[in-house]
Amino acid sequence: MEEKITTRRKVLIGMTSAVGAVGASLAVVPFIASWNPSAKAKAVGGPVKVDVSKMQVGQKIQVAWRKQPVFVIRHSKEALAGLSKVESKLDDPSSLKIDEPYRDVNPTRSTSNEYTVIAGVCTHLGCAPKYYPEMESQPWDESWVGGFFCPCHGSMFDIVGRVFKGVPAPTNLKVPPHYFDGSILIIGEERGTA
Amino acid sequence: MKKFLLVAFLLIGYQEAFAAGGAPCGDYGECDSFKPELNNIESLQLGALTFINHCYGCHSLKYSRWGRIAKDLDIPENIFNDNLVFGANVKLGDRMTGSMKPAVSETWFGIAPPDLTLVTRLHGSDWVYTYLRTFYEDSLMPYGVNNMVYPGAAMPNVLASMQGQQILSCKDVPIIASNGGVRRDEMGNDITEEKCGYLKTIQGSGTLSVQEFDKVIYNLVNFMTYVGEPSRSDRERMGWYAILFFVVFTALAYLLFREYEKDYH
Amino acid sequence: MTQKSSGFFNWINSRLPIVNTYERHLSKHPVPKKVNFWYMFGALASVVLIIQIVSGIWLMFGYENTEEGAFASIEYIMRDIEYGWVIRYMHTTGASMFFAVVYLHMFRGLLYGSYHKPRELVWVFGMTIYLVMMAEGFLGYVLPYGQMSYWGAQVIISLFGAIPFIGESLEIWVRGDYYISGATISRFFALHVVALPLILIALVFMHLVALHEVGAGNPEGVDIEKHLDEDGVPLDSIPFFPYKVLNALVAIGIFGIVFSIIMFFFPEGGGYMLELANFEEANPLVTPEHIAPVWYYSPYYAMLRAVPDKLGGLVVMGAAIAILFVVPWLDRSKAASIRYKGILSKIAMTIFIISWLMLAWLGTVPVTALRTTLSIIGTIIYFAFFLLMPIYTSIEKTKPVPERL
Repeated sequence: MEEKITTRRKVLIGMTSAVGAVGASLAVVPFIASWNPSAKAKAVGGPVKVDVSKMQVGQKIQVAWRKQPVFVIRHSKEALAGLSKVESKLDDPSSLKIDEPYRDVNPTRSTSNEYTVIAGVCTHLGCAPKYYPEMESQPWDESWVGGFFCPCHGSMFDIVGRVFKGVPAPTNLKVPPHYFDGSILIIGEERGTA
Repeated sequence: MKKFLLVAFLLIGYQEAFAAGGAPCGDYGECDSFKPELNNIESLQLGALTFINHCYGCHSLKYSRWGRIAKDLDIPENIFNDNLVFGANVKLGDRMTGSMKPAVSETWFGIAPPDLTLVTRLHGSDWVYTYLRTFYEDSLMPYGVNNMVYPGAAMPNVLASMQGQQILSCKDVPIIASNGGVRRDEMGNDITEEKCGYLKTIQGSGTLSVQEFDKVIYNLVNFMTYVGEPSRSDRERMGWYAILFFVVFTALAYLLFREYEKDYH
Repeated sequence: MTQKSSGFFNWINSRLPIVNTYERHLSKHPVPKKVNFWYMFGALASVVLIIQIVSGIWLMFGYENTEEGAFASIEYIMRDIEYGWVIRYMHTTGASMFFAVVYLHMFRGLLYGSYHKPRELVWVFGMTIYLVMMAEGFLGYVLPYGQMSYWGAQVIISLFGAIPFIGESLEIWVRGDYYISGATISRFFALHVVALPLILIALVFMHLVALHEVGAGNPEGVDIEKHLDEDGVPLDSIPFFPYKVLNALVAIGIFGIVFSIIMFFFPEGGGYMLELANFEEANPLVTPEHIAPVWYYSPYYAMLRAVPDKLGGLVVMGAAIAILFVVPWLDRSKAASIRYKGILSKIAMTIFIISWLMLAWLGTVPVTALRTTLSIIGTIIYFAFFLLMPIYTSIEKTKPVPERL
């Protein structure tokens, strides 16, 4: 008994393998897709609403969206005016390296000219940065002008979450999708989309 | 021997015919058949509307989520929110846990109204379709109605205003002779007897005709069938592709097998 | 496999017998050249085993093994997890298909005497697999914690109560509670997903090692080892690769069609695979009107019900399984295959099939007096088939078995 490899056999092997491979890759789809967030996770991770009218000027609050911290800061006019002064220290002052959702709208990086809304997740390795608004010398920076400092690996960001030069974090803090409905801030969706 | 077997089988068959026990739809007998149309979006939408307006007050659909229904039934979210979603603080991702506190309903009905997410899978759509159409007036019952499919059901006929009054009535039916035909008298007229237990709707007492009412229930049960297994239409659609794939694969594998079989045949 | 020039491969192979194992058990493994479709179910059983393991692992991602959460978690898998319903139906259909394939595989064994010398151990390992599968299927059926899960488990666990003296405390010990509760579910879960699958895989391994030692049988009952070529390979054999593999591919394709039809169009199997009462959460206070096992246990359930005594029913049911283990020593026939056995064996086999199917049906329907009588008759035939086997296989005249395949 001799196993001959004829053209017919080659063609048939090729076709059977091809069909088998297509089937196998389709069969894998449900198994991969089932790892996506379930409807339950999506429901829990739905948009959250906060009334920001009671916030003091200069105050920072933390909101949980998808069980992740989101920082909302109400800036004073002086603080916003000072933003351009720190730009020489920043790595990417205009957020060109990331997909900035509300680029060139407001200096706050948000859809509001007073509030900043940023994800409290360090772009280095995911720790939550801490807010140090005072312009005073800090152990990590003698000429600290106020902003966020990440205790895990020492990354620094300014008060609207823009990253400093020479720190481990590669990019600015992310701005989550959000919109303001009067004094109600909705985090997790854009205006008009649902 | 053969005769003995034949007699044995006949005997068993005869007994089996009567061993079936209670009919699937109680006093009604066999259920009316229900064929779902899960791709008929309009029917599902109307059914959803009926459910929310008339059933959801007492019965939850707790394994189902509002948003999923809006998406599957092609209802735009603003319309869905305004017309269907029950309760002010409900989010689309929430489960449809009902609008009634179980303790309250238990004092009202003596029993908490069951969750209905899976009722069409538990009893079958036929059963639900028949049940909802077989309430009849019965002054002995607390709500003045009883049900043929589920006698003693602790549920008022919430759709009575549409259906109107339905009563049990008697009518003359032809007597079937032992030869299977209708028995006739000497004049050639059918001999009839009075039999009772037939449902009769009093004409004009409801806002809908019998046909219209059946259609409302059809849409409602169609929706409930969808809720019982929301992925069912996807499942049946994907099934055809899976079968097609295996047919092609088998054909090719068979050709290859035949080709290699030559080596040892 | 030709000599690989790669140094790394040689380095590995001289420490781990890859080539040897591959050639011995796969590529060059000789199998009889003439077999029929009955010989495909073993391969299919291993395919289903893989389906069950993979889909089972994926189900665990969504399943919750608590009394409060179990039932809802099944609906969570069916609705909230993307394609969760595919995975669940794959597993439930797979369970039924596993039994279907294994029953046909076992029947093949009976039909063609696959347990004949020297394949006794292959049969015994196979029967042990079947026994473990029954336990595995039962444990899995309890996990959704529906009405049928609860009351089915109630009935089966109550069987332990039939054991004299320790019965009642054994029941409580198995449940870990006074009813089938979260404690029962979590231990059943651990057994279902870890302990029994490990044992099952080990047994399948033994089944295959033993099979490859003695070689596969064939429908003629011919011993192909008698005629070897100069290399010691049986003349009537073909190498596993590619010939047997292609054979298996065709079988897998046809099986895939059947599997898809059931899984995508009849996942409830008319209430025999997923019982309708299980679409209602367990309620320890209300028994469903009619408790029936899923189809693959029904013949044994019918036997249990045929005996009007609690302990007796348990013993009969246990004996019905136990007797299968000793079939290799009950069959005294010179011929392995039914094709060369005498008329008595053929009659016995026919009656056995009819009565087994009848028992399978009886196990799924409510009891009546007549059905109980039929169950008793079926049970007697079942045991008579095996217990009388030493007699009818030794007195009947067999046809001569051919030399070559």
